[in-house]
Amino acid sequence: MATEEQMYEQLNKGLNDGDEAKSLEATHWLVDNGVNPVEILEEGMAKAMFILGERWKRGEVFLPEVVVSAEVFKKCNAIVEPELAKMGEAKASSLVVMLTVKGDLHDLGKNMVGAMLKTSGFEVHDLGKDVPTDKVIAAVEELKPAIVGMSALLTTTVPQQQVVIKALKKNGLRDKVKVMVGGAPVTQEWADQIGADGYAPSAPEAVEMAKQLIGKA
Amino acid sequence: MAVKGFAWAGEPLEPLSKEQEQLVHERSLDVLQRIGVSTTNDRTLKIMAEQGQDVDFEERRIRFDPAFVEQQIALGRGYYTLGARDPENDLVLDGRHGYISSEGCLAEIYDPAIGDRRYSSKEDLEAMTRLSDALPQIAFLWQPVSANDKIVPVRPMHETHAQWSNTTKHIQQMTAVDPFNARGILEMATVVAGSAEALRERPLISNFQCAISPLHWDDGPVDAIELLGQAGIPVGLVSMPLLAATSPASVAGTLVLANAEILSGMVIQQTLVPGAPTFYTCYATTMDMNSGALNNGWGPEDLTFEIAGGQMARRYGVPSSSGILATGAKQSDWQAGMQTAFSAFEKAVSPSDMLSGAGSYNGSAVFSAVQMILDCEVSDIAMRWAEGYSFDAEQLAVEVIEHVGPGGHFLGEPHTLQHMRDFWRSKVMNRLTWEDWDAAGRPEPWKAAEAEVQRILAEHEPEPLPEDVTKELDRIMDAYEAEAMENMEDD
Repeated sequence: MATEEQMYEQLNKGLNDGDEAKSLEATHWLVDNGVNPVEILEEGMAKAMFILGERWKRGEVFLPEVVVSAEVFKKCNAIVEPELAKMGEAKASSLVVMLTVKGDLHDLGKNMVGAMLKTSGFEVHDLGKDVPTDKVIAAVEELKPAIVGMSALLTTTVPQQQVVIKALKKNGLRDKVKVMVGGAPVTQEWADQIGADGYAPSAPEAVEMAKQLIGKA
Repeated sequence: MAVKGFAWAGEPLEPLSKEQEQLVHERSLDVLQRIGVSTTNDRTLKIMAEQGQDVDFEERRIRFDPAFVEQQIALGRGYYTLGARDPENDLVLDGRHGYISSEGCLAEIYDPAIGDRRYSSKEDLEAMTRLSDALPQIAFLWQPVSANDKIVPVRPMHETHAQWSNTTKHIQQMTAVDPFNARGILEMATVVAGSAEALRERPLISNFQCAISPLHWDDGPVDAIELLGQAGIPVGLVSMPLLAATSPASVAGTLVLANAEILSGMVIQQTLVPGAPTFYTCYATTMDMNSGALNNGWGPEDLTFEIAGGQMARRYGVPSSSGILATGAKQSDWQAGMQTAFSAFEKAVSPSDMLSGAGSYNGSAVFSAVQMILDCEVSDIAMRWAEGYSFDAEQLAVEVIEHVGPGGHFLGEPHTLQHMRDFWRSKVMNRLTWEDWDAAGRPEPWKAAEAEVQRILAEHEPEPLPEDVTKELDRIMDAYEAEAMENMEDD
């Protein structure tokens, strides 16, 4: 008979190795054996992803492995989430809406940031690429995210980030959401100029920035 | 830990056309016939006269018959394996692989503790040998620095003594240029190998002897060639003329002179010890026309010399040794990076069996451990490039392209996870974001190399020698030292 401790260990190892079967088995066991879902999320999944992030920083883990682990994390989360809902647990708003701006099809950087945000316990709603401004406004109104993250790779599409910020203002939403911008041609100067709340040059730094913006850093 | 080297997938890119190669060969035979070489080795003069060569005993000059030259160098044709204390580190010389050694015999070492150069000691030699032992790109050893704290007559033996317990790789003893030290290193090698037969079977050491340009063979080196050759130790013949000083002020003329010197050495070697394992070594280099300083590794002429020797050696069917990774820089800067990268990369397309050597500044005058780490990094890129890449079905990866389809990404694919560690990675290069680089105090790559040197010297312990072998090596060392002291007093 497995113990709770063994299953936490299996979940940790499973998420760190990107082992879907092992991770899901452990998550199911913990839920089925009545472990508090908040504890599973915080002591199990989030902790494992924190360890993964530390290993990544030390260069022991490669980006493709982080992407796989983030996918497994998402599937584990799908098991725990209904349990949280049953408990009526109010989730702190750590929702990030991610998108690549209109006219730009380059979404790899945005996906990387999204994956790493997930590994740090953020919930990510991905609008995809070439996203029209009105779709961003609708998503902010409906989902009430804590942060909107916009990427743009081309010098010709970077100005679209400013268009979105102006539209947020026009719709009275600018005060209700933090805005992060990124992409190869984007700099801190540009972010300041268009009135964004945050900019980061790499995915892990984007996570740090997101934590700061919602006061969790 | 196996050693690394260059393995050439394709045909070598030769710096000389077939016509140019033929001209170098013919003109050097001309030089040997009309001008000849001088030597202070009386035995060689006598034997060459017996062999029907034109010997002037007054001038101590030998003029060689071209047919005799061709006949004698043919006796030395062939490739062989360089043995190592750990047989895993044996180096198979076959004309298709190239192995790098440390630099050698440098009188000074860069000392990070004082931020400057200083005279080297036997202790430095031990440490630099141990460092070389840990680096896979350093496949065999020269004596990185001189044991300046030891008396001159027996210094080459100290330099060998310092190395046995600090490396399990092949040792190319390049400082013993007289029969006394040659006999001493042979005795040591025999003890480590176990017997004279075992040493002949897998020579744990090799050696080379150098002509004095232009066209002279000194007495001691010739005796050493004979003594080591008889024991089956591979001995290379070296020419290292300085363009415009000890060879003509032309690339072609310098190659003719160098080839003549190397062939004359080979003829002497193969006449004294027919069939002795040999190698062809052209270390021709250029001179700074203002100061007269040695400019090895400098630029296009030097880069040509570094690979032309390999081409001539292939013609004669013997292994070659060539220069690699020299720089005139005084620190690990742009100049060092540029010069070493050119030198390493040309070896990726044009082979030499032995390539010496890594880890120096100031025109191969100051040894640098930091630069050796950086040289290994540069060489590692060239080695990987020379090896080429597979284009089999797994690598062509069409199934993966199909699975991802338009607009997706490959990051989480099993194929990616399986192969993401196949690619070359840097130990010291800088790929931080600007912000992280700034926060880290704007470090230069050599800082990482310095940390790597300290890590290796703290951690790396080569496989120790059996205790009785160590004792016997110490005894031999002491005996030769005593004999040398006695000889000095006699003088």
